[in-house]
Amino acid sequence: MSATIDADLFRRIQDRVAIVGIGHLPFAKDIGRPISDTAVEAIQLALDDAGLEAEDVDGMCMFEMESTHEVSIARRLGVDGLRWWSKISYGGGAAAATIMQAAAAIATGLASTVVCHRARNRGSAASRPWAKEKEIVRDDKALHTPWGLIRPVDVIGMWAHRHMHEYGTTREHFGNVAIAARKHAHANPYAMMRGRPLDMETYLAGRVIGYPLHLYDCCLETDGALACVVTSVERARDLRQKMALVHSVAQASGPNPVHLANYNNTPDMVTTSVFCADLLWRRSQLQPKDMKCAQIYDAFTPLVITGLEDYGFCKRGEGGPFTEGGRIELGGELPVLTSGGGLSEAYVHGFNLILEGVRQIRGTSYNQVPECDATLVTGASGVATSAVVLRGE
Amino acid sequence: MSMAIHPEFPLPDVDDPVMRPFWEGARRHQLLQQRDRLTGALHWPPKPLYWKGGERLEWIEVAGRGEVYTYVVGHEPFLPAFQDRLPHIMVVIQLDEGARIVGYMQNCTPEQMAFGMRVRVAFEDLTERVTLPIWEPDA
Repeated sequence: MSATIDADLFRRIQDRVAIVGIGHLPFAKDIGRPISDTAVEAIQLALDDAGLEAEDVDGMCMFEMESTHEVSIARRLGVDGLRWWSKISYGGGAAAATIMQAAAAIATGLASTVVCHRARNRGSAASRPWAKEKEIVRDDKALHTPWGLIRPVDVIGMWAHRHMHEYGTTREHFGNVAIAARKHAHANPYAMMRGRPLDMETYLAGRVIGYPLHLYDCCLETDGALACVVTSVERARDLRQKMALVHSVAQASGPNPVHLANYNNTPDMVTTSVFCADLLWRRSQLQPKDMKCAQIYDAFTPLVITGLEDYGFCKRGEGGPFTEGGRIELGGELPVLTSGGGLSEAYVHGFNLILEGVRQIRGTSYNQVPECDATLVTGASGVATSAVVLRGE
Repeated sequence: MSMAIHPEFPLPDVDDPVMRPFWEGARRHQLLQQRDRLTGALHWPPKPLYWKGGERLEWIEVAGRGEVYTYVVGHEPFLPAFQDRLPHIMVVIQLDEGARIVGYMQNCTPEQMAFGMRVRVAFEDLTERVTLPIWEPDA
């Protein structure tokens, strides 16, 4: 697999591109504005943060799931003209890929300054895609949806349940993830769950949604708009923020993927993230042991446990015990989801994890890990996914 | 013999050119899998018939036996079409022939479910054209 990855080729990108600006609107259950408006404000906030103007932007990368268009956003923002743009598919797998594609465009000279964003109004229950499933089901969805397997909680629950059976992973292990995210959220003034403590007793008493997953295993559908600005290191040196260098970045689908439900990928249910991690670490001079914290995609708590395994922080099956003893909390060996993540800050397809990665490198996180010079940000397992290693200069 | 189903039931596209043999088999109450004539390997999900120049693929009936590889039990809030089936036991079945296939259980309670439990295929006729392969304990 991937034996032909050319490290020399990747060095055109490695540490030569940086995230120089971040911005987001306060998260909300109902933000009350269309994403055509919130997206532009989030990008403007990120440009303000970077000390750049809309006129500096010539590239844009966003999620395919957006219902807005690049040119409309560019016009509202005041961009003179785009000369490169791209959209990334697979919601939860996409966030780090926006950084990868921006970095590739910048490294090849196709663009000089790229804005990446995610704006999403999903706080309302009626807005959930699975709740609208009533058309004839086509293509890959016909492999699972007709049997009612469509809610992400159930599709991921299949993996989670098998993991429990195969490796002895427990609900308490899932609870450790939920509690760590919640603890971190308390220091984050923007976190949706700030000030709402969660202990193991409450976690375990959560109502069942799709057994074995319960209420506190699930992320918070949220309205949000977030953006970041990516540019070359040469340009970044003249800007006001400490740069977060794109050290390694990867996108991978794995073989034979079926959206979320690729149960036939490999004999032992290896997720898409395994293939992404393989590319990511081959391209990287840093390795899992060098990460001072990690933002592991967390639409559901078991994804963090498999993510820790997929990205090499522990062996397959050891992700549950890895969460014990405060290891993934601030002050532990590998703090995870230091902003509160999708579970307790906001669920915005993991774009908040990118922003938190940047804050950790800058030293401005609400849960700052001391001397954090490298961090990992990952996308969802189960879909075609992506991940990025950010480091300080 | 088709029962009245919920108007929002997520019916599959049985005319899909790749999946059509599977759905036609289900309508005849047969569970079909796709086989590579050259290697004997079964492909699930199936490949398009023009794969590797065509002519290598055929559909065969399999035994319709397997074991529970994993499962989830759906509770509220769930799809409107499944409201009268809650709690809804969805399964990934490891067929004896090798593939893992999604389905749901009938004649079984959540308490009876177990990993590795032997199951056999059953068929639920949803409409004149759509029959779903589903599963029940193979006691």
